[in-house]
Amino acid sequence: MLSLKNLSTADRKRPLSNLDADLKSGKIYTILGRTGAGKTELLRAVMGLDDISGGHLELDGQDLAKRPVRKRQMSMVYQQFINYPHLTVLKNVAFPLRRQGLSAEDASGRALVALELVGLAGFEGRMPSELSGGQQQRVAIARAIVKKARILLMDEPLANLDYKLREKLREEFPRLLAQNADGIILYSTTEPAEAMQLGDEMIVMHEGHILAKGPPEEIFEAPSTVEVAKLISDPPVSIVDGKIVGGKLVLGETVLPENADLKLPMDGSVKVGIRPDALSVGGDMPATVVLAEFSGSDTIVHVTFEFGAAVMLVEGIHEFVPDQSIAVSMDTSSLLLFSEHGDNITERRSDG
Amino acid sequence: MLKSKHFFLLPALLTLAAIILFPLIFTVRVSFSSWDVYQSGLDYIGGRNYARLIEDTRFWESLLRLSGMSFITVTLQYVLGFALALAVWQNIAGGRIFRVLFLVPMMTTPVVMSVIWRTVFHESLGPANDLLSMVGVGPVPWLSSAAGAFVSVVIVEVWQWTPFMFLLLFAGLVSLPREPYLAAAIDGASPMRTFWQVTFPLMAPISIGAIIIRLIEASKIMDTVYVMTSGGPGTATETPSYYIYIRGLREFQVGYSAALSLAYLVLMIIILTIIAKLLMRFLVGKDD
Amino acid sequence: MSRTYNIIKYICLLTWAAFVVFPFLWALSTSFKDANAVTSGARYIPWVEFEPSLQGWTSLFASGSQGINIVTPFMNSASVTLLASIVSLSLGTLAAYGLSRFSYKAGFIKNADITFFFISQRIMPPIVLAIPFFLMLKEIQALDTILGLVIVYVALLLPIAVWVMTDFFASIPKELDEMAMIDGCTPIGAFFRVILPNSTAGLVVAGMFCLIFGWNDFFFAFILTFTETQLLPVAIVSLNSSVTPWWSLSAFALISVTPLALIAIFVERFMSRGSLAGAFR
Repeated sequence: MLSLKNLSTADRKRPLSNLDADLKSGKIYTILGRTGAGKTELLRAVMGLDDISGGHLELDGQDLAKRPVRKRQMSMVYQQFINYPHLTVLKNVAFPLRRQGLSAEDASGRALVALELVGLAGFEGRMPSELSGGQQQRVAIARAIVKKARILLMDEPLANLDYKLREKLREEFPRLLAQNADGIILYSTTEPAEAMQLGDEMIVMHEGHILAKGPPEEIFEAPSTVEVAKLISDPPVSIVDGKIVGGKLVLGETVLPENADLKLPMDGSVKVGIRPDALSVGGDMPATVVLAEFSGSDTIVHVTFEFGAAVMLVEGIHEFVPDQSIAVSMDTSSLLLFSEHGDNITERRSDG
Repeated sequence: MLKSKHFFLLPALLTLAAIILFPLIFTVRVSFSSWDVYQSGLDYIGGRNYARLIEDTRFWESLLRLSGMSFITVTLQYVLGFALALAVWQNIAGGRIFRVLFLVPMMTTPVVMSVIWRTVFHESLGPANDLLSMVGVGPVPWLSSAAGAFVSVVIVEVWQWTPFMFLLLFAGLVSLPREPYLAAAIDGASPMRTFWQVTFPLMAPISIGAIIIRLIEASKIMDTVYVMTSGGPGTATETPSYYIYIRGLREFQVGYSAALSLAYLVLMIIILTIIAKLLMRFLVGKDD
Repeated sequence: MSRTYNIIKYICLLTWAAFVVFPFLWALSTSFKDANAVTSGARYIPWVEFEPSLQGWTSLFASGSQGINIVTPFMNSASVTLLASIVSLSLGTLAAYGLSRFSYKAGFIKNADITFFFISQRIMPPIVLAIPFFLMLKEIQALDTILGLVIVYVALLLPIAVWVMTDFFASIPKELDEMAMIDGCTPIGAFFRVILPNSTAGLVVAGMFCLIFGWNDFFFAFILTFTETQLLPVAIVSLNSSVTPWWSLSAFALISVTPLALIAIFVERFMSRGSLAGAFR
């Protein structure tokens, strides 16, 4: 088990503060956060590439602080495709095995297996500079999984690839990561969908802090704070200010109809989280379109109501024009309620 | 306490320090004496050598002369080197031959070439005056007049070191990104405009680096002067290095030449650092 | 416009090329002259303007009072230059790598200061060190020896190697070193197994400059050697000051500069492929 105990780093630009986490063998942990949240810094600190300024990092109860990088039984895949330019693809993948003392034949044998696994059979004799970006990253992945390390670190490995390639590799990951089934896998990403799809557990980071830990579905269903809510979906959850008046939820001038499932708290101010798929075209709430963009095969529409701005996800490709007036309806069953301080206070009758 | 990072730096650092530290310290000590090699011990005369050099007009004149010489030669080398690099940058017929040829002079030994140049500039038997006479220009006193000597040294320096600028600038041109040029072509910019708006600014860092390096090397000029003009006629081409050489190794006023050496070294470090910083500031300012 | 521009460009290139080649051609022609040909004014083309003779060339290899030995100085120059270059390149590359990857601190002295220390050695005018080096070598009885010269040349060439390689290593991403260590290399192992094999471009440039500045040095060889260990540049200057005839002088000069001139061919190929770009940033 890998433990982070009150871990901090003193990096000037992006320090990490008091991170606590227990990471168990056999699980895939996805680290979700925006650019600059500290994901890379966390991985580098675990790897030993950057110094820890406070707290402890322990593997099976032993402090790792003094252990040099090469003795940490870890493997890493970088966001930029890092391969050894002067070695063939085969020698690239066999490199860590050779350093472990394996003979050339044994190392080559295992390297070939790894290359087949990532779909690069036949590429052994090529040089990295002759390969496309996607192929180069697959060589890097092969090299990372070939030594079956205790801990596999992956820092946004698909970020520099194009959309199609990213989807394809993402599908292959469960199979690839099965190689390290007994190990601990840390996978960082900026995409909520990717984090939730790949991870057994998710760690949400923001500005050097861990905001949430746990199974992805739980975090998605009930994000603990406003910050977490904003991070766990793309397009993001929209946060607007509201009030509970006389037992009813009021946004601006709009009184929302009661929802059977949603238990409203006492009268007072609340922050309301609106999921993008809770809004749909056609209804009785007037809104003005600010901007519309296509994403994949859906349309993301930024609108303003009289009570605030929100983002709407509309299936299919639709044309919207800025300043266009549309009518929107809101599914109040998936609303999230937060206290003024940002803590999740949503209560549903169905939770029991 | 020896970490692996020490393994990398210490051998070189210790070696260099070992070789030059003693000589430097010795020079400092000698500069405070009046040693002339024949005495067996080192006396102490305080700062008298330094007082002397402050009033030594010959020294300051040589410094001025060096500044002029360096400024002229480095400017010429830069302009010519840049022009040559630009000319052979895009593929032209015989490009390879030109490029090889343009590199050759910097690989040659300055002293050796100076010996040859001496015969070239020989006023009655050399080809320089001979060729000039074919176009009606009278025999030029290359080595026997102050101006002629200065010019002949400049010519040799330009011949010798323009390739250095050529090499650095060419390497820089080759590594320039394509995009700005495509944009300029789309905008219909003329070659001149493309050069001043695109090439020159992009080449600024390398230009400055090359100029600084060349200035540092030019400030030490000795070989050519020694062979071709011996600092003359008179002191027409006497550089500080040559003057210090005369005082120290011809007249054996070792104490004084040590003081001159140190003063010269300190002056050079200060001047060159200032020039380097100014050029760097100019570079950074350009980005705004 | 294009046409005339090209023609003018060519004329300029040819003019400069002529300027570059001129001293060599003159020396070549002169090396085949005899007393007659030289003293009757400038002559250029053999057979057409003068009777060629082989005196200049044969005198270089003849022994005895008429002979000028070129072989010994040549071999001396070669040994000193190669030895000093190899030592400087090795130590300099290691130091440059250290300075680019690690941070050193000794009181208020940090990496940038150490780098400046190395590079500023080039500002040192040879004259400053001439007499002290003389005395130092005299103390260890290394005057007029190959070893003595190598010691001095290392001090001259080491800064060059550090200068070029520091710039070069800055262009190699640190992630490559990290990857090597993640894969099981020690920091030193990472350098030798991964970084060094990818440093050929820089090493070539640094090595080239070391060879050039080493082979072409005159001053220190002049001060620190006399009869036992003569280097080429010193040999030719001592010839120049005596009554050595122009033809021998020219032949000697041509042989001296040919080795490095040939390097230019190799350098050009390297330079045009853009491989030098990484070395100069």
